[in-house]
Amino acid sequence: MSTALEGVLLVDFGQYLAGPFGPMIIGDLGAQVIKVEPVTGDGMRLAGKPFFGCQRGKQDIALDLKTPRGLEIALELIARADIVHHNMTAGVANKLGIGYADCKRVNPDVVYCNTWAYGLEGPLARFGGLDPLYQASAGLEYEAGAAHTGNDPLYYRFGMCDAANAMLSVVGSLAALYHQRVTGEGQELWTSLMDGGAVYSSDALLVNGEAVPRPRLDQGLHGIDACYRLYPTQDGWIQIAAVKESQWVALCGVLGVPELADDARFAVADLRQEHRAELEALLGERFAARTSVSWTHALDDAGVPNEIPLDSLGGELVLNDADNVALGMVAEYEHPRMGTMRQFGELVQFSDTPAPTRTAPPLVGQHTREILEWLGKDAATIDDLKAANVITWPGDDYPWIV
Amino acid sequence: MGALDGVKILDLSWGIAGPLGVMLLAEQGADVIKVEPPGGDPFRAYSGYAVWNRSRRSVTIDLKSPAGLEAMHRLVDDADVLVETFRPGVTERLGIGYDAMHARNPRLVYLSCPGYPDGHRLAQRPGYDALIQASSGQQWEQPGWRLGPIFLHMPMPSMGATFLIPSGILAALIARESTGRGQHVRTSLFQGALLYTTQIWQHVENADAAFHDLMGKSYPPGVHQQFLFECANGEWVHTSVMSGLTPTKSQDELLGLEDAPEPFAFMALSPEERDAFTQRRREQYKTHRRDELVAMFQEHNHAIEAVITAEEALGAAGTAHPQLVANGMVATVEDPELGTTTQMGVPINLLGTPGGIRGPQPLPGQHNREILGPLGYSDAEIATIAGGGA
Repeated sequence: MSTALEGVLLVDFGQYLAGPFGPMIIGDLGAQVIKVEPVTGDGMRLAGKPFFGCQRGKQDIALDLKTPRGLEIALELIARADIVHHNMTAGVANKLGIGYADCKRVNPDVVYCNTWAYGLEGPLARFGGLDPLYQASAGLEYEAGAAHTGNDPLYYRFGMCDAANAMLSVVGSLAALYHQRVTGEGQELWTSLMDGGAVYSSDALLVNGEAVPRPRLDQGLHGIDACYRLYPTQDGWIQIAAVKESQWVALCGVLGVPELADDARFAVADLRQEHRAELEALLGERFAARTSVSWTHALDDAGVPNEIPLDSLGGELVLNDADNVALGMVAEYEHPRMGTMRQFGELVQFSDTPAPTRTAPPLVGQHTREILEWLGKDAATIDDLKAANVITWPGDDYPWIV
Repeated sequence: MGALDGVKILDLSWGIAGPLGVMLLAEQGADVIKVEPPGGDPFRAYSGYAVWNRSRRSVTIDLKSPAGLEAMHRLVDDADVLVETFRPGVTERLGIGYDAMHARNPRLVYLSCPGYPDGHRLAQRPGYDALIQASSGQQWEQPGWRLGPIFLHMPMPSMGATFLIPSGILAALIARESTGRGQHVRTSLFQGALLYTTQIWQHVENADAAFHDLMGKSYPPGVHQQFLFECANGEWVHTSVMSGLTPTKSQDELLGLEDAPEPFAFMALSPEERDAFTQRRREQYKTHRRDELVAMFQEHNHAIEAVITAEEALGAAGTAHPQLVANGMVATVEDPELGTTTQMGVPINLLGTPGGIRGPQPLPGQHNREILGPLGYSDAEIATIAGGGA
């Protein structure tokens, strides 16, 4: 049985994160992904762990695009590709000879995707940039830190805008590929870190130019409503989500303060928001009196949505959780240097088309030879290219940690 | 024309991930019908709903009545995609489960996105975003102004699922081009949360402590937090050491710190000396106004952004972010309930088949007659299907 994207070839010229992560996800959906890497290595390899986060499942050819023979090989790959994907800054791909026009010449119906920092055109289009800048421009840092309370703004630790840019490029590339399969026509598309950040703040809205208030964090970063937040307990924490009226009433009962449900100050959700600080103090006092586990049992029994926040020990408990493993949500593979690796597995699952067999993030040029053989190069040509430093593959003196 | 012209989607979802994920497809040309219960989607009053539910039509159907269920089945017969976000087992009880719908329409791509995957021990627990932030371990990963779990203002599990939903649908539509058959595509908010762990959660057998420490959580918050600087008037900027361009003056020179050590000399200083200089640098930022600093840094090829609110980015303070405007991401939408609104534009740019906003959020049942009429239903029957209203 074939994978969902069986037969789709993506050629990935991306480096760092926002470029390569999208191709990794398209590979997870079953496409074949060839990473074209400089012979000097992807700059992200020096960082180790983040490099591992966006490269699994790919085949790797290390190629010097700045040599005529290197470029020629790249164009031979592009000629066979369904999707070409990269995150080079303005003008770089054109200068290298792998701009959309170059690719279209060798492959008229190719889908060509560029993930920018800022965008295709405009006052800042020439700039590259790092993920947190767009957390700033999208309002994420302001809200994450509760800066309106006088706190410092705060960045999210998860590469939010890199991920958004990458995932928008997945959606865009697959929409363009679907269109190509239906009509035979390829096209160019782009996404950006800046626009990715804006997606996260897309509940922001102006009416007649005026901001419509959105829920905001409290100064202690516990939540956005007295009934939708974290509370410290006697021995830890609990997250509650009493969003329906019936759940609010039940919550008051469980906490042993049923009179609050009848208190005029807290009669409806809007009033509870208006008197939030008072209510949080009253509820907080009750939560502090018992342990997290005793609260979660009592809240479950009363039908009040809640969870104890998990300290996963840096993900280890999630990646070794029996249910997660059984359901395919954990991937395991062998890296030639780093041993057995685990990372998240299937994020999307298909009833009829199975997930691909995943392989570890490749070494620099790990598949150079077999890809060139697939392109029809003979052994003498391959050795000659290696001697001329147009290509490389891992030897005994492999200098990278990953 | 849009890339997804001719793709018909029935959107039974609510919350964030379903509506917003479907929006990404609607604005590339898919024809989306939002199927709402009598009285409308109960979450319609939520912040963001006017944006996340735009570019589609609305039909109200009482799935608990035989007439409503029959109408739903007839819509399925002509659909390419169905999207639902019920807890596992609910669609089967309603009579619109995958097996039954697939039997009616074998080409249907049926996407399910509950809070947790079917078969997981948490599958029947409530699936509100913050609960999954907690149970998936994400709150514990975020640094903040205190120890312990930090509430993520940005609804991370839902946002991850927002991207996984259209990705899964498109992969299945592409597969259908060769197999001729649709299938059941499943994701969840829990899997959406996992998407964001890609850089930070890896079990690596031979990794040393330094490998993990590089991306570890720290208290107080580290790494990128060091590049946030307070300016005059309590405003802030976020700077970057990397812009892809060659700077024409150093950041320290621009700040007025002409005697600043070169980067390598700085790294050679003792920790105390470095802290002292960093403190001086922070004080120097406070002598500059935010917007002047941004203009000056950019003029000299340094990447920098002002720390603003999302509403400021859209223009609430007078001027929208100029690059966001250039990207077509500041859109004016006439909303039937709110009036003239400014909201996010289309974040995916297909140059051959440009997307676009196809209209504001519909009113509940606004298109009942337009959608159900051609199926042969009379006005009286449509009222019954809609649960007596409309």
